[in-house]
Amino acid sequence: MTIEPNMNTNTEEAPESSPTLGRRSFVFGATALGLLAGSPAALAAAKKTTKSKTAKTSGTIALQSNNSDDKSKLGMEAVVAAFNAKKAGTVKLNTVAGELFRTQLTQYLTSSKPPEVLTWLAGKAAQNYADQGLLLDISDVWASPEMKGYSSALKGLSTGSNGKQIFVPIYYYWCGVYYRPSKFAEWGVKPPKTFEEYKALCKTVQDKGVTPIGMGLSDTPWVASFWFDYLNLRVNGAKFHRDVLSGKKSFNSPEVKAVFAKWQEVLPYMDKQAKGLGFGEAQTKFYKGETATYVAGNWWALGAPKDVGDDIDFFQFPIIDPKVPVAEEAPADGFFAAANGKNPALTKAFMRYLATPAAQELYLTTSGNSSIPAAPGAKAAVTVQNTKGKAMLEAAADLTQFFNRDGGDELQPTADAALLKFMDKPGDLDAILTEWQAAAVNARKL
Amino acid sequence: MSVVARRRRRGIDSLPPSVAAFILVPFLLEAAVVFAPAVQGVLLSLTEWRGVGTPKPVGLQNFRELAEDPIFVTGFKNTVRWLIAFGGLSGLLGLSLALLLKVQRRGVAVYRSLIFLPVVFSLVVTALVWRVLYAPEGFFNNSLQAVGLGSWGRIWLAEPRTVLYALVAASLWRSSGYIMVLYLAGLKSIDPALTEAARVDGANRWQLFRNITMPQLSGVNSVVISVIVIDALRSFDIVYALTKGGPYNSSQLLSTYMFQTAFATGRLGYASAIAVVIFLLALSFIILYLIRALREEAR
Repeated sequence: MTIEPNMNTNTEEAPESSPTLGRRSFVFGATALGLLAGSPAALAAAKKTTKSKTAKTSGTIALQSNNSDDKSKLGMEAVVAAFNAKKAGTVKLNTVAGELFRTQLTQYLTSSKPPEVLTWLAGKAAQNYADQGLLLDISDVWASPEMKGYSSALKGLSTGSNGKQIFVPIYYYWCGVYYRPSKFAEWGVKPPKTFEEYKALCKTVQDKGVTPIGMGLSDTPWVASFWFDYLNLRVNGAKFHRDVLSGKKSFNSPEVKAVFAKWQEVLPYMDKQAKGLGFGEAQTKFYKGETATYVAGNWWALGAPKDVGDDIDFFQFPIIDPKVPVAEEAPADGFFAAANGKNPALTKAFMRYLATPAAQELYLTTSGNSSIPAAPGAKAAVTVQNTKGKAMLEAAADLTQFFNRDGGDELQPTADAALLKFMDKPGDLDAILTEWQAAAVNARKL
Repeated sequence: MSVVARRRRRGIDSLPPSVAAFILVPFLLEAAVVFAPAVQGVLLSLTEWRGVGTPKPVGLQNFRELAEDPIFVTGFKNTVRWLIAFGGLSGLLGLSLALLLKVQRRGVAVYRSLIFLPVVFSLVVTALVWRVLYAPEGFFNNSLQAVGLGSWGRIWLAEPRTVLYALVAASLWRSSGYIMVLYLAGLKSIDPALTEAARVDGANRWQLFRNITMPQLSGVNSVVISVIVIDALRSFDIVYALTKGGPYNSSQLLSTYMFQTAFATGRLGYASAIAVVIFLLALSFIILYLIRALREEAR
């Protein structure tokens, strides 16, 4: 069992009045689930919650972070240290591995003593939690001078369905098709502009014994959603994409079938081993030149080993239908705060700090992250890719986020199941899409 | 023994306070940390609850929904398959290993310890080891390739047809050593005079096993069966660590699906309903075992 009892280690006793949920009932519920299945881990987690009754207001809050790779962790540490140096209160950083964080986020937020500030994604992914009343209203942070000049697009992504802001973005990034220029030169191919050119490239590369399209799905099945998102954006456009994710359109509509028809054209070029490879294994294959291209966010280039260095570049996801306005995925990352965290004053002060150019520049430079800072005045760590990525996003007619950010976290498992099944049994498409639609309806109902 | 005997003779009022404490304290503890949460879990299964606010009572709605939930049905079937494959094979393997290694010979202890060793590892570590073995270009596929059977190779953990059995194999690696130890202990208690007498009467190996060894192992058998059933029903770690129930839910067990609904989707009421089903499954096996055990005692 992998329940990590880490949700409350840094926090103090919550104010008597605050918890709407009642710690005891939640703890008992979780314990009961654990015990019925015979697991002691839930109990351990429960015991941990009842611990710690220290001084009332020492002005400490916890920051739960999923930025767990070495460089990003350094970045978070630097930002937290800089804030703590202001002596306005203490922030304690608690870093949790990304996949674990993803599965436990609901638990963190529903705990009666949640970590006050958490890293997460903008858009529907944050709004859903706000709709459940789990997030702190930080409209006054958005009204503060620190956040003047933030783009309305980012404000929209940070606003809940009740019109209150609940999220502070610190950066956003571009996505594209990554490749290694030296390998492309070796194979005699050039970055394609259209889907037809891309298919031709795949054919050429495959004839040379290289897998044209890499993917690692065994521990990160959501990577496949990049393909669904981009194909849908290129075939049907951003509006339809948003409609299908929000449930206004159906997953077994003819438009979605057209998306999979396009996918089927490139399916023979995708790595047959993808479903058996972990994220890291797929990354290694790409660096070794065993796979030629990989659709991912800008973070794909960040984990490159030294000998690969700058030999990574990206091109825009190829255009399928020139009549469809070009949309790009531009996911924004940032922070939200738990509704029943203690010390909202310090929480908001910290979030105001996170919104400053200084904090964002510090994070991006320390962590070597090429993303574009959210604060209007902030300078990004300028790289060739960064300039190119920013230009691509600025030229786009519309921006979307990513599947779970636009559709909500609860929709992601339905996509993972459907897309993996399609890649395995493309012949069963109709049944798969009907199943997907039913699963999506169920997931939204929750 | 003597305490109980004396208590019977002198009546309940003379129960020494220390003995009363020894009975009461564990009982209260058990009630507080086991019974109460269990009852709470059953009550939760009759509600719709996301972990915030008050649970909304919905009667048996969750159970009706379960019956129509394709993932639950897969999970249920897989759990039954798991129970049979994992349970049957670990019993069989454990017994075979015990019979093989019961002899007192030089070096046998080394084998026993080696086979028992996986029990010591955490299942998550076990999972990591097996993940490497099952990798597309891992030990199994490479070995098949080496002997010219490359076409038999597959992505063991990502094909719906193989994934469950690949997971069973990985957990057998651990459980057969454990069952072996239980059987070894059982075999130790067999009266050598009986075996000797049967041999003198001309019994062959099979007859010895069938008519002398097995009947004397019946006590151990009941223990092994209940251990296996409980272990099978609570299997979680290895599946979660290796596939998380994937690909597309084809290796989902009731336990992993319960975890997913509770802690990923956050439907605690629905997850409790799954937990109740697991509980009932376990309970029915344990009751069967208890009936059997009591009947034997009565004899």
